[in-house]
Amino acid sequence: MADDAAAPVTDDGLREEVRAFLENQWTGLLQGETERKAWFAKVVEARWAVPRWPTEWMGRGLGDVQARIVESEFAAAGATGTGQDRTNLWANTLLAGGTQELKERLLLPLLRGEVGMCLLYSEPGAGSDLAGIRTRADRQIDHFLINGQKVWTSYAATADYGMLIARTDWDVPKHRGISFFFLPMKQPGVEVRPLRQITNESQFNEVFLTDAICPEENLLGELGQGWGVLQTALAYERSVMGEGARGPRSGVAESKNEEPLIALAREAGALSDPLIRQEISKVIGLKKLNALNTARAKAEMKQGTSSALMSLGKLAMSRILHEEARVRTMILGAGSLLEGPDFPRAEDANFLTLNAYFTSIGGGTDQIQRNIIGERVLGLPKEPEVDRDIPFRDVRSG
Amino acid sequence: MNSLAAEERLAFQHSTARLLADRSTEVDVRRTMETPSGYDADLWKAMADLGVVGLIIDPAYGGAGAGPVEVEVVFEEAGAALLCSPLLSSGVLAAGLLQALDDEDANLRLLPAIADGSLIATAALTGPRGTWTPGAVAVRARAEGDACRLDGRASFVTHAHVADVLLVAANAADGLAIFEVEARAAGVAVTPAPTFDHTLRIAEVAFDGAPARRISTSRPAWDAVEEALSLARVALAGEQAGGGRRVLEFTVDYAKTRLQFGRAIGSYQAIKHMAADLLLESESATSAARHAAAQLAASASDAKAAVELAAFACADAFVKICADAIQMHGGIAFTWNHPAHLYLRRARSDAQLFGAAAFHRERYVCELEAAHG
Repeated sequence: MADDAAAPVTDDGLREEVRAFLENQWTGLLQGETERKAWFAKVVEARWAVPRWPTEWMGRGLGDVQARIVESEFAAAGATGTGQDRTNLWANTLLAGGTQELKERLLLPLLRGEVGMCLLYSEPGAGSDLAGIRTRADRQIDHFLINGQKVWTSYAATADYGMLIARTDWDVPKHRGISFFFLPMKQPGVEVRPLRQITNESQFNEVFLTDAICPEENLLGELGQGWGVLQTALAYERSVMGEGARGPRSGVAESKNEEPLIALAREAGALSDPLIRQEISKVIGLKKLNALNTARAKAEMKQGTSSALMSLGKLAMSRILHEEARVRTMILGAGSLLEGPDFPRAEDANFLTLNAYFTSIGGGTDQIQRNIIGERVLGLPKEPEVDRDIPFRDVRSG
Repeated sequence: MNSLAAEERLAFQHSTARLLADRSTEVDVRRTMETPSGYDADLWKAMADLGVVGLIIDPAYGGAGAGPVEVEVVFEEAGAALLCSPLLSSGVLAAGLLQALDDEDANLRLLPAIADGSLIATAALTGPRGTWTPGAVAVRARAEGDACRLDGRASFVTHAHVADVLLVAANAADGLAIFEVEARAAGVAVTPAPTFDHTLRIAEVAFDGAPARRISTSRPAWDAVEEALSLARVALAGEQAGGGRRVLEFTVDYAKTRLQFGRAIGSYQAIKHMAADLLLESESATSAARHAAAQLAASASDAKAAVELAAFACADAFVKICADAIQMHGGIAFTWNHPAHLYLRRARSDAQLFGAAAFHRERYVCELEAAHG
């Protein structure tokens, strides 16, 4: 991304230009997928989708300060589509590591939202230890042959491409033998099976890869350098995560503008119970503290000081979700024995109890998160890793 | 409420931090906490000269004219340094109460001397139940011609043993009011109580026909008490946040250098995970304390809720950080010579002063209910 010097436009001039575009083109709320795609195409065409990117890829080479001006103008108008140079995980990863050929083919469609994507990272044998993947990519004359199994893949059934990490070298230590690919999903070697979760829903899939074909030009970064590409991708992913998890799914709201736990306790006739009030107070307090931490982190980032707070949000959110579900259950008492649409409160408490693990396990378990905070924020030494410097072929697994 | 400009605030913070780094070291704290007065008179003078003692006092009465935000910042430093001082009693609680009551004569008589440190005042607001609620007040006032006399007891009165003036909540014929009492007058018996936190001083005060002067106010007296208590709770929250941060720092440092089984103990997840959890506690306490100060300074509609949240969140966080820090250190922190227990003692005391965590949690829910209905 270029610095401000590459864009000889004044802040005011830029602001005027964005406003003019929005005034002429933005018509308000978008109805449905077709209108959304059409709008995104316009934003890309007008070079507002990725203003920080270089001009050759529909960017403007703006610095962060000016790009934020663009974003704030879009936000003020309620318009979407800009800021993708921060938030579009797929396009940013491709720009950073893709071949010229792949970028020419996919960058613009990705920005226009025309390409379905999914993540092929985790495996049954590689969860917290992601570098321990055993899916293999074997080089053929002009393509790679992929064999293995991936798991926890959202949108696998509809995706056009999956961002895949696979092992291409088994004779070097684990981090150094991994490569990163854009794998075409719509081919016979890719089989997608929905995974039934503890919540009795299926948002994730298992993906079985059997002699799946990945063209050579779909390799991102150098062969064996996939771990580095992955870190770039994960950084983009994390920057848009932590927006919070899903709320109750019954759709039967307790109250529009009251704290949900207070409303629930009132409805259940438990609001005068001093023990319940203490528990409610703790949970609402935790939520508020997390919001305050986030606000302080943003303020500190604006001042240019790096903030320890950002890495704490996910851990805090795990605790909040588990605690909130526990207190909901406590408020309902025996009512939580039930489930189903006739018992929406029980449905919510029980769903939230189970779905809390989505946050405390998904995207790195709380335990891994504590390692990261301990090591990267507090500077505590790492645990010795017994598999770090030996060929992956000799690493124990299971 | 008042606030200073950001540069001025930073200057207060830095000069306080420098002064305390120099004059409130662990050695100083250990020496001072064993003295009968429990504070260092020279340091007190230096703090007064710096403007910290009269921080919240209106410039018209010789103070710096600052508010909750500056109080919070200064107390973060005081908490980190385990400062032994009547600053909370005199500079925050008593001065805050006088300004909330706003009796011009009393202000002129007392605030300038409080600001320059020559007079130490404290507030006696609760009886033996120690709940800091109007119902717990155990002092009665009776009129005697133009004068008043007080009878009864006040408990948990911070720094009463070194105070020159006591501001006493007492029930009069026409309701609760605040009275000014000379601490050394006849009919006033100040009995220092042994404290678990040796850096703190509290006393039981018995009144037996003690001569008193009623402080006039245009508002219900307990409203003024609550306003002063809010400021004191923000100060405590800052102290708890600052103290917790300091304890976490030296605990993490220790975990990096203490070796067992050939490795730094901080490399073990058993220790590392505790440290990560404590960082969340510490940062949340800091956020809560600063937010409460900011909302109070802005007289925001959710200021009360913010203060209640800070009161229980910071109290719980400081206790947890100190308690876990001792466990993480192991045997060395079970010794008197290690500072960890001094902080735990402070944390457990701070968690009771001006209302315990459960009390504030209940009031927090009440605030949220009130905000809705």
